[in-house]
Amino acid sequence: MAVSRRSSRPRYTLLLIVLTSITLLTLDQRGNGGGAIASVRDVARDAFAPVQDAADSVFRPVGDFFQGALNYGDVESENARLREQLAERDGDVLAAQEASREQRALLDQQDLGYVGDIPTVASRVVLASDARFAQTIEIDRGRNAGVAPGMPVVTGRGLVGRVVDASQRRATVLLVSDPTSSVGVRLSSSGDVGVATGRGRGSTMGVDLIEPATKVGPNEVLVTSGLEQSVFPPGIPVARVKEAKSATGALQQDVTATPVVDLSRLGVVKVLQWSGQ
Amino acid sequence: MTRLAPRLALVLFVALVLQRSVLVHARLADVGPDLLLLIAVSAGIVRGSERGAVVGFAAGLVADLFVQTPLGLSALAFGLIGYGVGTLQSSVIRSAWWIPLLTGLGASAAGVVVYGVLGAILGQGHFVRPRLLVVAAGVGVLNALFVPASVRALNWALPSAAEGVYAR
Repeated sequence: MAVSRRSSRPRYTLLLIVLTSITLLTLDQRGNGGGAIASVRDVARDAFAPVQDAADSVFRPVGDFFQGALNYGDVESENARLREQLAERDGDVLAAQEASREQRALLDQQDLGYVGDIPTVASRVVLASDARFAQTIEIDRGRNAGVAPGMPVVTGRGLVGRVVDASQRRATVLLVSDPTSSVGVRLSSSGDVGVATGRGRGSTMGVDLIEPATKVGPNEVLVTSGLEQSVFPPGIPVARVKEAKSATGALQQDVTATPVVDLSRLGVVKVLQWSGQ
Repeated sequence: MTRLAPRLALVLFVALVLQRSVLVHARLADVGPDLLLLIAVSAGIVRGSERGAVVGFAAGLVADLFVQTPLGLSALAFGLIGYGVGTLQSSVIRSAWWIPLLTGLGASAAGVVVYGVLGAILGQGHFVRPRLLVVAAGVGVLNALFVPASVRALNWALPSAAEGVYAR
């Protein structure tokens, strides 16, 4: 009997663990991003923030070593690619300058000075999730600095994502590349609106609801639509059209777009203190 | 377990610090190692199914506090993996240096898949996609590199009566 009791104990322990986990999951789901579970998370994150800051300072050289060692091939091929690009561009400097002037003029016409008078909070990215499940970054500003869930996050190039959680000293940003992220967008030429959805970091975004008759140019900029009840203000560059195909009889075009911001190399971002319409 | 808690807490704390500072840069194909999952696996390797489940639950709970996915998901997945590894390890009758490495690789990969499937069941449908297998393989390979250190740490943190083949 004693042997039987001993051998069944791990199973009872496992059962207890499963039941406890299910209870926690239920409490978290019912809390819907708030409640006691969210408070515990916020406290843990704030308490850990100074430790992480110190560890970042101490271990940064080690981390850089790992990054260099593991991505040596990528760095080498990128270096070669950049050299090639530089060589190509050398001969086109004047044309590029002209194109740049034209682009600036176009951006001005399209009202892409998107930040306008919206107050911003500059933040440093302290942690970027890997490509496992949720595509998020953690920034070093939280509620103490006026950052709150729902606020858009941008760089000088365009939209990064939106704040989904904020403790006193930290905030988590869901990137536009996350599969659960959807952004209402507007085509800069036709003004047609659609929805850009993430497909994971390093992948293109899918753009739905673009009608087959709409003319979509390659490299066309998609900006936030800012329609009523939108979570983003209008006019923030989101992505550039990579490809647009329209099958016969289809109700919408198959449009893919590349985010304008390199989401794998974020250093400093700005949180727009914009609370929606 | 109570008197062992400070050592285990220290191991979990160090793992968390390393995970969120050094190892965020140690990525292969945009996938990094998962030290907290590895602690669950290592606990199963050195101390058997029951301790594997308990330590896995604790490690998962710590992981859950710092991610946006439902709280309890990592705790459940890591607890199951710790239990599974412990159960598997109890059937190993010989000791070889490569068995923990292989176990760490396979169990870590399985942990990622279990996490993804449980997440999908709980409404995170995007967790299960073809890339999940690449992610699982990446985490498995990277975690295997840290198995010797992790097994040593868990032997130190859980030093009482031996249960697993690799207990010292």
